[in-house]
Amino acid sequence: MEHSFASPSGHPQPHQRHFNPYSENGGTILAIAGANFSVIAGDTRQSEGYSIQTRYAPKVFRLTDKAVLATNGFAADGNMFVKKVRQRLEWYRHAHSKDMPIRAIARLIQTMLYARRFFPYYVYNILGGIEEDGSGAVYSFDPVGSYEREACRAAGAAQSLVQPFLDNQIYFKNQTPAHGTSHPAHLPLDHVLELVIDSFTSATERHIEVGDGLEIYVVLAKGSTPQVLDRWQGVTEMTTTQDGERMFVIRRNLKRD
Amino acid sequence: MDHFPTNWGRPRNDTIDPYGTYPIHQRPKDAFSTGIQRTQHPIVTGTSVLAIKFKDGVMMAADNLASYGSLARFRDIQRLHPVGDNTVIGAGGDMSDFQYLQSILDELMVDEFCASDGHTLGPAEVHNYLSELMYARRSKMDPLWNSLLVGGFKDGKRFLAYVDLLGTTYASSTLATGYGAYIAQPLLRRAVEGNEDTLTKEEARKILEQSMQVLFYRDARSIDQFQIATVTAAGVHISEARKLETSWSFAEGIRGYGAQTQ
Amino acid sequence: MSIMDQNGGSVIAMVGKDCVAIASDLRLGNEALAVSSNFQKIFPITDRIYLGLPGLATDVTTLKERFRFRVNMYTIKEEREIEPETFAHLVSSTLYEHRFGPYYVEPVMAGISKTPSGGFKPFIAATDLIGCLNYAKDFVVAGTASSKLYGVAEGLWEPDLEPEDLFETISQTIMNALDRDAYSGWGCIVHVLTKDKVITRTLKARMD
Repeated sequence: MEHSFASPSGHPQPHQRHFNPYSENGGTILAIAGANFSVIAGDTRQSEGYSIQTRYAPKVFRLTDKAVLATNGFAADGNMFVKKVRQRLEWYRHAHSKDMPIRAIARLIQTMLYARRFFPYYVYNILGGIEEDGSGAVYSFDPVGSYEREACRAAGAAQSLVQPFLDNQIYFKNQTPAHGTSHPAHLPLDHVLELVIDSFTSATERHIEVGDGLEIYVVLAKGSTPQVLDRWQGVTEMTTTQDGERMFVIRRNLKRD
Repeated sequence: MDHFPTNWGRPRNDTIDPYGTYPIHQRPKDAFSTGIQRTQHPIVTGTSVLAIKFKDGVMMAADNLASYGSLARFRDIQRLHPVGDNTVIGAGGDMSDFQYLQSILDELMVDEFCASDGHTLGPAEVHNYLSELMYARRSKMDPLWNSLLVGGFKDGKRFLAYVDLLGTTYASSTLATGYGAYIAQPLLRRAVEGNEDTLTKEEARKILEQSMQVLFYRDARSIDQFQIATVTAAGVHISEARKLETSWSFAEGIRGYGAQTQ
Repeated sequence: MSIMDQNGGSVIAMVGKDCVAIASDLRLGNEALAVSSNFQKIFPITDRIYLGLPGLATDVTTLKERFRFRVNMYTIKEEREIEPETFAHLVSSTLYEHRFGPYYVEPVMAGISKTPSGGFKPFIAATDLIGCLNYAKDFVVAGTASSKLYGVAEGLWEPDLEPEDLFETISQTIMNALDRDAYSGWGCIVHVLTKDKVITRTLKARMD
């Protein structure tokens, strides 16, 4: 099993088989910011190669009452990264008696990712939530910490399927408004939820690593009414505090094939 | 630090060689350069582990073989290990790494017992501990080469989860490692998914036994002797080693199996 | 870098109600360097069949001529126009002749076929580079933006679109997919085929 090769220096060296510390676990995540809400979603399939490891492994995590983090890529790195972010947020709470604002969480995530520049977390992150001014926010990151605030972002296995659809439906790219009208800057919540569900059913149809289940987190700014959510099935409220931002999760099934 | 000055090479001198054209000294490859060995590959290996949830708890199965490449080297190795009163772990992959893990976990349980704070580690805690350990070791590029299943029953709750050499974790009502993931997992899912709360202990045992039989027929690194661990409210029970019932009469007419007539 | 991605380019075809549409970009590149913004990838085969050939540009040109020759031979021998189904098999077998040294193109076909009762039926198909046929009831895609085209088409397409609605759907699909693909773009062309006419439009798209 072991082979010997002559090294450049002439000494025979045992051939070292390479240990690969990374893997890819499929799945897709997506986040859309509204005027006073933010929607963060991910499918729940975890796979490696052609094998489905489990049909339910969450990729979207509540960080605070107003911040949600979605991770995609190498699951072990993702889970560990979320764990470390939560730890830092807890330390912040102990030091400052309040939750870290989302733009600060975004910067924290950048420094944490860049700290591992030469052994990166193989994870694409999308952070969603409510800004201190009450506006919906989405921040997206690359594995080594480059980030920007956006209105919408898809990442993961089906990013290439979903992102151009979102360009069209959220940013109205390649659509010209009728004379005397303009495209809305932000879409209403129920419209956004429809687009999220359409995106994931489409991705499930054409990508083998996407499917099984869908978790949609909805974060509502202080004072906004959650009436829209009444007509949705499978809504669970996750808010832990009074008169602050409110958080909900909608769980749905996706095709399992 | 290399303590041999002969290996340090010629220092660079900016007045003589401002553009650094003189080749940077490469330390010669000698006996010391291969002194640290960590990136490894499994040597003595175990194959699949299967586990399912059932009405009263969790059941796990693994055969008793530890292979050395294609050689069936150790035919009476235990690959299921109890951790405390509520947990069992099963391992595929490198058996020496697994036995090292057993000693770590046994020590951990002793430490926890000595704390005598009224807490005991359940399956969730053991799984979390293992996932941190496995992830830390992979991050040092010095992995423990195993796929582990952790099953248990504590405080009226079933627990079943996976962790491997990369620190990858997941939970499901049916789990299988190694070849079992390809061969047995579909059978387990068909039998168990949706029936977790109705399957009896006997039915669960039968499902695992049938799956072990299929694996024995198709996995060349398996053996027809296996054990089953059951974790319920009553605690951990690991069965004696049992023989699989197999039938080879079908092979009679197949060229390549039985005695050949031509 | 795959040979298939050397020159870039994408094609999509869609089915509507008694009509079909086929669209492509107009870019020709040498890897990331764009060379032309009017490179034709869709060719009329008959009045009712259009063929899209995304892939290696040299093979696009070769195959276009080759199919023209073979369709002409068919027309002369049979003394009738070739039907889309037949043409699809012609494409398939032409490519499979080169099974172990293939042309680097993934043809996409759109056509209106005649039914025995004298009616008309929309037809689309695509093949891989060695001629494995893929008939679809909804849409087929190929080229460097194929994954993006799948995503947008899966979200926008619906059954029984009228010609003008089908035009809008295929145009939005290809433009938004192209804008996310570095190897396709630089303008698009769309053909909508009905039983009695072909509407061809060049779209005003992003040129970056």
